[in-house]
Amino acid sequence: MIHTYKGRGLVTRRSLLKAGVALAGTASGFSLARAQSDDKVVSLLSWPGHGAQDVVGDFEKANGVKVQAKEYTSGEEMMALLQSSPPGTFDVILSDAEYTSQLQQASLIDEMNPADYPLDEFWPEFQKFPAQFVDGKLYAIVVDYGFLGLVYNTKRLTREEVDSYAILSNEKVKGKVGMYDWYLPNMMCLSLGEGNRPPHDIDNAKYDTLKQKLFGLAPQMSGIGVWSSVFSQLTNEESWVMPGVGAWAALLLEKGGVPIKAVVPKEGGLQWTEMLSVSANSGKKDLAKKFIQYMTSAEGQVKEATKAAYWASIPNKAGWKLLNEKNPEAAEKLEHKLDARNVMDELKEGKIFVRDVPKQQPIETWNEAWTEFKNM
Amino acid sequence: MNQTDRANRRSSLFAWALALPMPIWQTLFFVAALLFLVVMSFWSVQNFRVTPDFTFDNWIKIYSAGYFRVTYVRTVLYALLAATLASLIAFPCAYGLAFKASPLMRRIVVASLIMPYFTSYLVRANSWKILLTDQGVINSVLGTVGLGPLPMTSNLFAVMIGYLTLILPIVILLQYFSLANVDRRLIEAAHNLRCGRVRTVFQVIIPSARTGLILAATFAFILSFGDFVSPSFLGNNKPPTLTVLMVDAVKSGSQWPRAAVVALTMVATLLLVAFLAMNFAYGEKRKRP
Amino acid sequence: MKADRIISLAFKAYIWLALLFVFAPILTSFVFSFDANKFAAIPWGGFSTKWYAEAFADPEIAKSLRNTVIVALSSSILATLIGFTAAYTDYRYDFFGKRVYLALAFIPPTIPVIILGVAMLVLLGRIGLSGQLHSVIIAHVVYSLPFAMALIRLRLSQMNKDLEAAAWNLGASQWRALKEIIIPFCLPAIFSALFLTKAVSFDEYAIAWFVSGFNETLPVRILILLQREVSPKVNAIGSLVFIVSMTLVMLAQIVFLMREPGSGKGKRI
Repeated sequence: MIHTYKGRGLVTRRSLLKAGVALAGTASGFSLARAQSDDKVVSLLSWPGHGAQDVVGDFEKANGVKVQAKEYTSGEEMMALLQSSPPGTFDVILSDAEYTSQLQQASLIDEMNPADYPLDEFWPEFQKFPAQFVDGKLYAIVVDYGFLGLVYNTKRLTREEVDSYAILSNEKVKGKVGMYDWYLPNMMCLSLGEGNRPPHDIDNAKYDTLKQKLFGLAPQMSGIGVWSSVFSQLTNEESWVMPGVGAWAALLLEKGGVPIKAVVPKEGGLQWTEMLSVSANSGKKDLAKKFIQYMTSAEGQVKEATKAAYWASIPNKAGWKLLNEKNPEAAEKLEHKLDARNVMDELKEGKIFVRDVPKQQPIETWNEAWTEFKNM
Repeated sequence: MNQTDRANRRSSLFAWALALPMPIWQTLFFVAALLFLVVMSFWSVQNFRVTPDFTFDNWIKIYSAGYFRVTYVRTVLYALLAATLASLIAFPCAYGLAFKASPLMRRIVVASLIMPYFTSYLVRANSWKILLTDQGVINSVLGTVGLGPLPMTSNLFAVMIGYLTLILPIVILLQYFSLANVDRRLIEAAHNLRCGRVRTVFQVIIPSARTGLILAATFAFILSFGDFVSPSFLGNNKPPTLTVLMVDAVKSGSQWPRAAVVALTMVATLLLVAFLAMNFAYGEKRKRP
Repeated sequence: MKADRIISLAFKAYIWLALLFVFAPILTSFVFSFDANKFAAIPWGGFSTKWYAEAFADPEIAKSLRNTVIVALSSSILATLIGFTAAYTDYRYDFFGKRVYLALAFIPPTIPVIILGVAMLVLLGRIGLSGQLHSVIIAHVVYSLPFAMALIRLRLSQMNKDLEAAAWNLGASQWRALKEIIIPFCLPAIFSALFLTKAVSFDEYAIAWFVSGFNETLPVRILILLQREVSPKVNAIGSLVFIVSMTLVMLAQIVFLMREPGSGKGKRI
C-alpha cells in the first residue's frame, strides 16, 4: 500500500487520529452492554453452517452448553466485526487461512497449546500446515478445507475437456462461462492456467499477461454473481463451466440433482482452508478450547465433513476412518477413501496451492483489473 | 400580560416538544456514524486492517479511476431510468385508483401494494430469477409457442425488473395519495369549461398533484441508486453499479475507506437530487398566493 | 356513457396487470416453495412440503422471526412518532437552520446500507449499545424515520392551514388542536407510515447484520441462507411471512372498514 502525506499536516493528522481512535476504539471496560457472558454459551464467529445443530448438537449435549454463532459471508465482514465488537463478544473464531496472521498481528487470537488438540491424528501435511503457525507458535487449527478448480456441467462437457483451464476460452462455451464475484479465486485459477506456480507470486510482466487473459474472457461470460446466482446459473444451464469454484458447491448441486461436478485441472487448483482459533478476549477460554477439541476430534470432523450447509474435506485422519465407517457414500463423494485415490494424493502431487492474496502487486491492482473486467 | 407570558411559554414548550425528538435521536445515533464515515475516508488499510491515518489517497484513487467515473454515470442513468419507468408505469394505476376505482377496489389494491414489502426483497429478487432465466418460466412459455429464449438476466432489463420490484408499489401509493387529494372542484371546473379528458389530466390534475408525483419519483431514484440487490442478484454484477463497486472495494483487502469515499459521493449525489427535486416540487407553488 | 365505462374498465385492467407484476415474484416463490427440487428449475420437481418442514425445524429461523417482529414493531412505532413530530415542525414553523434540520432527517437513507452498517456498528459499539436487539431498533429508527416523515409531511401539505388556526381562535390549546385536528387529518398517513417503516425494518439486512450481534433478524438469516447454502427454505420462509402479514393487513383493513364509514372521496369524474 502506498503512503504519502506522512509527516505532513501533523497537527490535523494527530487530532484526526485521536478522533478516529476515539470513534473506532472498542470502548474497553466502558461498555454498558455486556456481551452475553453466560457460562453456558459458546459464542462462535464463523462462515455459515458451522454452528448449526447438525454439527454442534453432540457437543452441546455432552457439555450442557449452547453454541451461538454469528455467521459472516466474507472475511472482510469478519475483520470489521471483530475490530468493532466489545471485548468478550466471541469465544471462538473460524477464519480463512489468509486471515490468521492478520488476526494474530491484531492480537485478536490466542496462542494455543498443540498438546491440547489431536494434531497427531491429522494427516502429516496438516500437522505442519503453515498458516496454523506464527513464528513457530500454534494460533489456529484447520477444521475443514477444499480445492477450487473448475466446476462443469457433465451433460455439456466431458471430463477431458475440463482437464485444462484452456476450456474457458474455448468457442464451445462462448457465453456459458460463469464466475463468482470475487477477484481472488478466479484470477488465481487463470494464473494457474498460465502456468504460474504459485499463482499469487508473479512478476509484473506475468501479471500483465494474466490481465489480458482475463479481459479476453469477456465475450465468453454469461454472468458474474453472488452465490445464489452462481447456483441458479449452473442449475439453469446459463453457465456450463466456472473457474474458482470447488467441490463444496458441486456436491450441493449434485445432491440437488443438478449434473455438476468439480475437477482440479492438470494445471492445478487452489485450496481454501477454514481454521479455528481462540478469541484473545474471550472470558471462557476453557470452553473455547473444549469446543475446538470437539470440532477437530474424529466425531466432530465427520459432522464437519458432511454438514448441511456444505460438505468439505477434513484434516483429521481418524476422522477419515470414522467417516468411511459411518458414511461410506460421503467418503466416496468427498474422495476420502483410504484404499483408493483420494484428496491427499492430489495434495501430494503438488498441484494444489493454498489460496493467498497477490504477493508482488498490491491487492488493489488485481481488484481494479477485476472491476474493469466487469465493466467490459 | 402575565397570561400572554404563560401562553407564550406554553406555546414554545409545544414547539420544542415537537421539534426536538428528531434532531436529538439523529444526533445521538446517527451524526457520529456519518462523521465516522467522513473520517474513515482518510484512513488507510494495512494488511486487511483499517488503520487511522490522514491521507487523501482514497479520494485521489477513486476519483482518478476511469471505472469509477463510468460506473458513476451508469448508476445515475440506471436510477434515472428506473424512476422514470416507475413513474410512467405507476401513473395510470394511481389515476385509475383515485378516479375510476370503487372504494372497495381501492382498499384492496392499496393493501395489496403494501403487502409485497412484507416479503423479503431478497427473496423476491431471487424468485425473479426463476421466472427470467433462459430455461425459466417465461422462456419456457415462450418456447411452447416457438419463441425465444429471450435473454432476460444479467442485463439492463433484469436490473430494471429488480428496481421496479422494489419501487413500483411505493411509487403507485405515493402518486395515488397525491392524486386522491386533488381538489375535485378544480376538476369539475375544468370539465365545465369543456376542457377535454386528456387536457384535464395534464393541465389540472398533474399540476395540482405535482409535489407528490415528484416526491414519488425522488423516492424511486434514491432507492434504486443505493440498491445492491437488483444489480447484484439480477444483473449479476456485470456491468457494476456503485454499490457493487463498494462491495468490490471491501472484498479486496478490506478497503472500507475507499468504500466510504464511494458512499459519501453517493450521499452527496442523492442530497443534490433531493434538493433539486424539492425545489422543483415546491418552488412554483410558493410563488402562487 | 359507454366510452366512460370502457375507459374505466381499461384502467382497472391496467391496475390488475400492475398488481400481477408486483405479485409475480411472490407467487413464484410460493409455487417453488413446494418444489421438491433443491435448486429451482423448470420442470417442477414435484410437490413437497419438506422445505416447510425444514424451516419449521430450524430454531434459528424461529428465533430470527421473533426478533424481526420485535424490531419491526418497535422501530416502526418510534420512527412514525418521531417522524410525525418532525413533519409537523417542518409544516408549521420556519426557522433558522431549517435546511440542516431537514438534512439531518433525510441523509440516512441516502447512505448505502452496506457501509452505514459498519459506521453504525462503530458508533453503537462505542456507546455500548451494539450487539443487542435494541441496537437494531435504534438503527432502523434512524434509517426509516425519514420515510414516515415524508409521508406525513405530504399529507400535511394537503391540509387547509385555516383549520388549525380556527381551532385556536375558538380557544383550543395547541395541544388540543394537534390532537383534534392535525392527528385525525394525518391518520391515514400515520397508518401508511407505520406500515412503510415496518416494511423497511422487515427487509433491512445489511445494518442489522452488523449491529445485531447474535440476535439476528429474519432478513439476515435469509441473506445467509442465500449466500452459502442457497436453500429453498428461503421460499418457504418468504411464503409463510407473506401469508401471515397478508392476513394481518387484511384484518387491519377490515377493522378499519368497520370503524370508518365510506368517505365521500373517489367520486367519478
